[in-house]
Amino acid sequence: MFLSRFRVNTARPGARRLLSSPQTMHAAVMSSFPHLLPTDAPTPGTPRVLWRLDQRARAEILLHIVSPDWPDLTHLVEQAGWPAAAAPESPGWETRPYGPFLDHLATGDHWSFRLTANPVHTIRRKEGEPRKITAHLTPTHQMAWLLDPERQKRGGFRILEKPSDRRLLPHGTTQQGQPHHGDQYELSVSDTRSLAFNKSRIPDGTRTKKLVTLVTVTFDGRLEITDPDAMRRTLTQGIGRARAYGCGLLTLAPLAQPTRQPS
Amino acid sequence: MNRTAVLALRLAGPLQSWGASSRFTRRTTESAPTKSGVIGLLASAAGLERGDDRRLAPLAALRFGVRADQPGTRIRDFHTAHHPDTDKSMPLSERFYLADAVFVAAVEGEHTLLKALHEAVRAPMYAPFLGRRSCPPAGPIELGVYEDARLEDVLESVPWQASGWYRRRHRHRPPDTLTVQREKAADEPEATDTLRDQPLSFAAAHRRHAVRAVVTTQVPLPPNPPDTTPRHDLFEALSHVPDDESA
Repeated sequence: MFLSRFRVNTARPGARRLLSSPQTMHAAVMSSFPHLLPTDAPTPGTPRVLWRLDQRARAEILLHIVSPDWPDLTHLVEQAGWPAAAAPESPGWETRPYGPFLDHLATGDHWSFRLTANPVHTIRRKEGEPRKITAHLTPTHQMAWLLDPERQKRGGFRILEKPSDRRLLPHGTTQQGQPHHGDQYELSVSDTRSLAFNKSRIPDGTRTKKLVTLVTVTFDGRLEITDPDAMRRTLTQGIGRARAYGCGLLTLAPLAQPTRQPS
Repeated sequence: MNRTAVLALRLAGPLQSWGASSRFTRRTTESAPTKSGVIGLLASAAGLERGDDRRLAPLAALRFGVRADQPGTRIRDFHTAHHPDTDKSMPLSERFYLADAVFVAAVEGEHTLLKALHEAVRAPMYAPFLGRRSCPPAGPIELGVYEDARLEDVLESVPWQASGWYRRRHRHRPPDTLTVQREKAADEPEATDTLRDQPLSFAAAHRRHAVRAVVTTQVPLPPNPPDTTPRHDLFEALSHVPDDESA
């Protein structure tokens, strides 16, 4: 497994084109692997290509890719990077082996994590209607989607709880005593985006009339690993739906060291 | 053991209304939070009843100051209402509000009392409101207790609390100073400005306020609040040699 990072040059038209549609970005990411043919059906239950865009500022957009093979992002550098600054030792993106890190994961480790996901549930508005996949739209429901004990157990992690002195609701309940998980966990939801885009073509070459609509949110928080094998599966295969469109890639980073006070 | 401490509050919301001299159907607002409004907020958070003047006295004795981080806009509401039961029309009234304003209010007093008030604001008995019950605060209001501090220093050092959009809009020409209205320190000369907002009683039948002297000063613009967006550098984890004890 490999982890790659590519900074998008937002001053270039190619970057605008890629950033404006997850469909285009997905195609560009998948084109980085010469052995992945578009006609290949992906095998479920094996590591796959996952990607995510992290934006910290208007011109600071990082594309992260986790992939089973070494990616060649030359075309991305040419279209949406800094091709003239590329050199053989720094081709315009960074790729590092992910395996050693995955092998070191152990039960009880605490990490900070980030995940862009597509939290959905199925609903039926009236009796007898077929069930329909619907996005969660409020932060409370979006958090509940990730906090679902079954989902955490399957993923091999447990989202940590805040110490009570840092909570807005000290007992995890409202004034009326209703349980409320709003501030109980080390978890925040940000950057809710509703995307709607056309799949450019379907295999027979005609344009589709069907829009793809997605709601993506970014979770930030802290977790504890409860099952390293399940966690490795989560990190390499993703969580939830819309994994082709920049969702489902969970990444770990060391917990922030307490900042030292200048004495 | 007579340590002092300062409790700082961030008073921000879509609407605020701080009346000090309203009469009859024209309900005006001052351009900054009043002492009676903020002390009332603290008293209600601590669960004091309206007529409980004995327990209100130590709160009313706190030294009070407020800093205008974002002055906001004064808006006038022409208020018409009908009685819900009898459908009789209520008197027409004008009510003034401050829209989009942000203030930092601080009270200085005895250490244990302020600790208790801080706890009360974090888990309030009655929900805090910004001068009028229809004006809820936007987000948590407490900014923490400063031990062994003076009111003046806290009002100078608390980061600039203005909204993100306001800071962005004024990033090329931020204000040089912010206005602070506070009560005088023990070693200062007597102030000349007065405001009738020193709470004596919040009894529902007869609220009473005394005159209070106010010092108006300017403080240099404090720094922006620290960036709280989580940093997430996943390459750090790869170079991070995992040790056995978890962080």
